[in-house]
Amino acid sequence: MSWSVTRITVRLRLFGAVLAGLGLVAVMIVVGALFPSVGHTIGKLDVPASVANLLGGADYATITGWFRSEIAVIYAPLVLGALAITGASAVTAGEEEDRILALVLAHPIGRSRLILAKALAVALIVLIMAFAVWVGLILGVAAGGGGITLGHITALAVQLAFFGFATGALALAFGAGTGRRSLASGAAAAIAILGWLVNGFAPLVSAIDWLRYLSLFYYYSGHDPLARGVGVPGLIVLGLVTLVLTAAAVVTFDRRDLRA
Amino acid sequence: MGRGMSGEPMIAASGLSKDYGSGRGLFGLDLEVGPAEVFGFLGPNGSGKSTTMRLLLALIKPTSGSARLLGLDSNKGSIEIRRRIGFLPGDLALYPKLTGRDMLDYLAELRGGVDRSVRDSLVDRFGADLERPIRELSTGNRQKLGLIQAFMHEPELLILDEPISGLDPLVQQSFHTLLREVTELGRTVFLSSHTLSEVERVADRVGILRQGRLVVVDSLENLRKVALQRLEIEFAGRADPAEFLSLPGVKAVHASGRTLTISFEGSADAVVKTAAAHEVLAIRPREDDLEDIFLRYYREVPT
Repeated sequence: MSWSVTRITVRLRLFGAVLAGLGLVAVMIVVGALFPSVGHTIGKLDVPASVANLLGGADYATITGWFRSEIAVIYAPLVLGALAITGASAVTAGEEEDRILALVLAHPIGRSRLILAKALAVALIVLIMAFAVWVGLILGVAAGGGGITLGHITALAVQLAFFGFATGALALAFGAGTGRRSLASGAAAAIAILGWLVNGFAPLVSAIDWLRYLSLFYYYSGHDPLARGVGVPGLIVLGLVTLVLTAAAVVTFDRRDLRA
Repeated sequence: MGRGMSGEPMIAASGLSKDYGSGRGLFGLDLEVGPAEVFGFLGPNGSGKSTTMRLLLALIKPTSGSARLLGLDSNKGSIEIRRRIGFLPGDLALYPKLTGRDMLDYLAELRGGVDRSVRDSLVDRFGADLERPIRELSTGNRQKLGLIQAFMHEPELLILDEPISGLDPLVQQSFHTLLREVTELGRTVFLSSHTLSEVERVADRVGILRQGRLVVVDSLENLRKVALQRLEIEFAGRADPAEFLSLPGVKAVHASGRTLTISFEGSADAVVKTAAAHEVLAIRPREDDLEDIFLRYYREVPT
């Protein structure tokens, strides 16, 4: 681990993360403010179960359903996942392609320490985003007239942070393992989106119901944190996935040639 | 100061190879660079200079062979080696958003133990701009930052990939002075270039790399001895290049109108006497250019 590397990596991405975080907060306040007038009008959408599943139940009549469908199921994980993936691929493969790693690794820092420091930086960015979601939900729910406990809001932010760690670690493993930035972000994004689709569709067909257990998304939202609080098994799985993928990033990066 | 452990050479490569396929890479490099030496590593772009340096830094791993730096194995001892050497990569890249100062601070932190006054004196010497973001700096000004980071911890061994590229003549001068100073202190410099004129003034020995193979290692003095001489002879009438080509020692004759440029080794006697049979308007010696030696090794040495 190298604090210098973590610090500079976070610093170079902080502006973007804070901006995205403020955006999240603003959107959630607006979404919350719309609930009293719009939510009841929409009510529970009469849509096929597959669509309802993808939309997190599509029950817009309750504030929990409203935030689940508007924020928790798509918007928040999309923004957070995108930032984690682009961040993790940029600070590994991106810096390698930009030839900056060649200079950094001419200094007395081991490759494992470098990757761990980068992983920590990505995790900190994810925490900033999860914190923004937490603040945004508190303000948004208040703007919508209340109705979700602070505990459940916190549960969602925690679950989301772990989801961000895991998707970030996915991109980190691809980025550190291949040194190809677009491949890393592309592959990680594809896996994340596939996971979202699988989580939505798999339960509809009993034969492939088990597929959802392969989806990171399931471990984030399967327990329905906004309604039921933290799902510890989900957190454990996401945490383990993060550790395994980070270890894979370290091992593969240590063994291969620097590309540029 | 400046010696590797137990008097070993500062750099010792044996059979060092990196095969990238289709003839690209580095093949069987055997090379020793001693303490307090400035070694110029020459070759055209793509001849394997950067590959060699990246192997020495353990940024890439050899296909076969090995290298020792400061008496340590280049792979196993990499961290300790990197602590004690300074490296300037070819095509230096820095964080564009950072200022020069922040970038140097960061690299100094990664190193640890950088004497600020040494850094500041290097900044003064090169006239580096530390306040502007790196994206606003010219190539030359970025290269200054690259040189400062390579020298700022006063390393025993410097590995510099194309250090002079992009530097204006005045800065080149400061760089040459700096090289002299550090070698007087017993430090070693291994630098690459694709043009000989850049290293001619600083290198004690040079090695010429061609298509991944080291074709010659010698002192500049010896290389000069085997240099071709060239005479440019302007005739009043038409001159026949074939007449000169058949002379002993003549390697090449280039005709341009009534002027022949004749490259030869050894004595000029035969060339001058043959020319004397014609009406000669002018004889101009072409500068004994080391670039010629260099080009000659590129072309003529069989692989």
